[in-house]
Amino acid sequence: MLFDQTHRKWLTATVIILIVATAVYIPYALSSPQGPRGGSATGLAFGIAAFALMIFAGLLGARKKVPVWRVGRAQTWMRGHLWLGLISLPLVLFHAGFHKRGTLTFVLMILTFLVVASGIFGAILQAYIPRRMTIEVPMETIYEQIDHVRSQLREEADQLATAACGTIEGVRAPAATEIAASGQTASAVEIGVEVSEESRAQLREFYVCRMRPFLNTPAERRSSPLADAPRAAGLFEELRLLLPPELHETLKDFESICEEERQLVRQAHLHRILHAWLLVHVPLSYGLLVLVAVHAVMALRF
Amino acid sequence: MIPSAISLTIDGQKVSVAPGTTIFDAARLNGIRIPTLCHQQNEVPVGVCRVCVVDVGGRVLTASCVRPAEEGMNVATASAKVTRARRTLVELLMSDHPSPCARQQHSGDCELETLARTEGIESPRFARRDSSRGRDDSSVAIAVDHDACILCDRCIRGCDEIRHNDVLGRMGKGYRSGIAFDNNQPMGDSSCVSCGECMISCPTGALTNKFHVGTALSVGDPALPEFLKGLPVFSGVSGTFLELNSGSVVMRHFRPGEIICREGDYGSTAFYLLKGSAQVSINTQIGHVKTEGGARGFFSKLSSRLAHSAEDRREEEADRRTIPIDAPADLPLAKPVAELGPGELFGEMTCMSFYPRSATVQALTECTALEMLRNVLDILQRNKNFRGEIEQNYRRRALDSHLRSVPVFAQLTPTFIDLLRDKVELIRYSPGQVICRQGEMADSFYLVRIGFVKVSQSHPGGEIILAYLGRGGYFGEVGLLGGGTRTATCAALDHVEVVRIAADDFRLMMEQFPEIHRSLETVALGRQQENRDRLALVESTPLQDFLAQGLMEAQSLLILDLERCTRCDACVRACADAHDGVTRLIREGLRFDKYLVATSCRQCRDPLCMVGCPVGSIRRRNSLEVIIEDWCIGCGQCANNCPYGNINMHPFTVNVADPESPGRTRAVVKQKATSCDLCTDHAEPSCVYACPHDAAHRVDPRKFFGRLLAQSKSD
Repeated sequence: MLFDQTHRKWLTATVIILIVATAVYIPYALSSPQGPRGGSATGLAFGIAAFALMIFAGLLGARKKVPVWRVGRAQTWMRGHLWLGLISLPLVLFHAGFHKRGTLTFVLMILTFLVVASGIFGAILQAYIPRRMTIEVPMETIYEQIDHVRSQLREEADQLATAACGTIEGVRAPAATEIAASGQTASAVEIGVEVSEESRAQLREFYVCRMRPFLNTPAERRSSPLADAPRAAGLFEELRLLLPPELHETLKDFESICEEERQLVRQAHLHRILHAWLLVHVPLSYGLLVLVAVHAVMALRF
Repeated sequence: MIPSAISLTIDGQKVSVAPGTTIFDAARLNGIRIPTLCHQQNEVPVGVCRVCVVDVGGRVLTASCVRPAEEGMNVATASAKVTRARRTLVELLMSDHPSPCARQQHSGDCELETLARTEGIESPRFARRDSSRGRDDSSVAIAVDHDACILCDRCIRGCDEIRHNDVLGRMGKGYRSGIAFDNNQPMGDSSCVSCGECMISCPTGALTNKFHVGTALSVGDPALPEFLKGLPVFSGVSGTFLELNSGSVVMRHFRPGEIICREGDYGSTAFYLLKGSAQVSINTQIGHVKTEGGARGFFSKLSSRLAHSAEDRREEEADRRTIPIDAPADLPLAKPVAELGPGELFGEMTCMSFYPRSATVQALTECTALEMLRNVLDILQRNKNFRGEIEQNYRRRALDSHLRSVPVFAQLTPTFIDLLRDKVELIRYSPGQVICRQGEMADSFYLVRIGFVKVSQSHPGGEIILAYLGRGGYFGEVGLLGGGTRTATCAALDHVEVVRIAADDFRLMMEQFPEIHRSLETVALGRQQENRDRLALVESTPLQDFLAQGLMEAQSLLILDLERCTRCDACVRACADAHDGVTRLIREGLRFDKYLVATSCRQCRDPLCMVGCPVGSIRRRNSLEVIIEDWCIGCGQCANNCPYGNINMHPFTVNVADPESPGRTRAVVKQKATSCDLCTDHAEPSCVYACPHDAAHRVDPRKFFGRLLAQSKSD
């Protein structure tokens, strides 16, 4: 989501509503003998308006459940949720007269601040993170497919390693048909070029000790030198100097697999950031709505 | 005066033979064995191998298989000199021989290796050649190993002298000599009829029978070679081949009402009816997927149902009256049922190219059929007798309906069809074979009978695929109507058979039927304009990646602005909700700049989805949008073929007659192929409507990417 020209109307409307509300509040606050109160007619009006806006903002979740119902574009609902939800905060403050008058109202005030603040935080994240993801993860896949893609990368890496280094303990050797079907280029072994056992052992050691754990283990994905692009590039450069040219093609494939894995890690991380804030915002919002309803009943009836 | 007999001495034994008898035959007739490799009793001897050399007292040893016996000749067949020469020769041959060769491995009777053992040769002294002469596995029935070939010429003589097929010959010189098929084509692409004579003649493992994995069909009774040889359609087929492939053709018996094969099922066999009659039909409900729902007001819900073209006619829907199937008859669209009788073959495309069965075949009476695998069908298709019968059946029965199934030819009179009946040619093409080439003189018009033809044009920027034509498609009219040269290259994508109408007959047709002439001209002009538009597009918009992906061909692309998209998948959920839970879009695909082109039908430049449709129900409109016709049988071939997963199979519950309870119906689930329809019933596609972040847009790619390209150029 980007805040661009298309938000201008909403911003304008929000500012107008704020100005109008302020223009109503100031004389009301100055003229109230005991100060502005939520129970006064004006205070009640502010309260009802704020509650209505909160309910509208809360209906966004319901709107998303019926995506094809023609009840207004999802984009309109989202913008309404953002701007009208934002304006509910000053209306709540005007309703309360900038005073806390009890535990429930205090909690409500805090909740309102938290919900609005988390919403603003989420909006900023939604403006910033997609851009980062687009730049940093060119090989982005669907988030739910990350594990599947990862297992495919592991399998591909195993095949390449077995083809170049021979049998590796703990790694299933692929059948010739699998190698052919995967369209891999012929390994040094397959094309009959003699690669020394020492070189193969070096590559095998790198694969078993560094690369395979990096692909397999979550902890290694964070701490391995392959997790950092410049360090990984340095590592592969060293290997290219140590190993014969016949194995450089395999190294190149390994390098792109590692790069893809790094991108998957980065994507998962950014995705979690992009969506984790909802774990705070949504429960708090529901809590707020329930407590506001309780407050309305309590305040009006008792 | 010609003597009545000639007397000579062979290895000290006096023998008497008729004049003209060769030394080899003279020895053979008298129980003296002379080893040989190139000589075979039923072939004219050529004396190329020199293994049969004998000493007749001359300056050099002589080849006994070609040297006539002379009066008073003294022949030594096993002297030290002869034995030494023979041994050296065999050793030289063995030095190039891939011992043990295929024949030695399978049956232990490679004549060269047997001779080598007899001569006591275990490992030749001479160095092996360091380059292989190669293999040819293109034939379905016979494997060619040039490394095992000793250039004995037996196969050539077998093919020419015995079978008179004249396919095999020699090529090359010296060490590069070898046998060749036609003009050195792969065996499978040559005019070889796979009679097996060359294989039987070959003394080594150079020509061997291919043993296919699973060549034994697990159903029916194996059809005995003696029985098959008695059938007219199998006359000319090698008995040895039938013996070696006895499991590949079986006899099947069907009771009345029994299903022989079902539409949509995958298979690998073809059926040839020997006795009885069968009904061929399509049982899938005729109709296309229509998505509809309230377009106004609140709470509108989209739902999908099957609609017939009679109630919902779509733009550019095919004006067909018949459904093309993999049988000698097309099915009428109004009531897709026909009958097959003895001597008719069905399931060719399934057998040769492994496409799904195009229709359901059910025995009407007691039926007997031969069910065969591809290796047998391949040989039959090359057999003159079989081809003659199939062609005769086609001309008699199917040509009429096939021609009329093409809407522009619907007005042809029976008289004219009778005129064409004996003039048309049925020609087969192997996968990849070019039928006609761009720029050549146009001399024929073609109708596709089976298989798929790829139509493409070459341009400086590369090849552009214009169309895939299946059964009922036609080509060649543009060249014939427009000046005489071919405007595109047409090549067989798989095993194709076309009906060729010569230019003269085509012109006669145009003269006698001006309406057809006008219709064809309209089609030809339309095709030419389409091609020009496409070429202009390619030349004006050098976005190679996008051209390669076919994006510029699309009418409408769903693109996601990745800087706005929060990856919430609301678009995918909306698409699924709009189509009874079956999404037609995946949030994955190509990227350009900050945009993702989501996976949703792209109207690809190379429409792979169309290849292999057994009933030709998926095609492109002139606007390039994919349309799936009412007679889709739901086999899923197009969905499997689409490399982007843009075609989905939509299940529907339909009521069909219950065979176990006559008069009652039961609900069954049938499937129809669907792809993105842009939610045409609504003002906006559901995916765009449901996106909360203004990230999803449907764009005209030419305008959208053209604008981006112009911007990047100015930057």
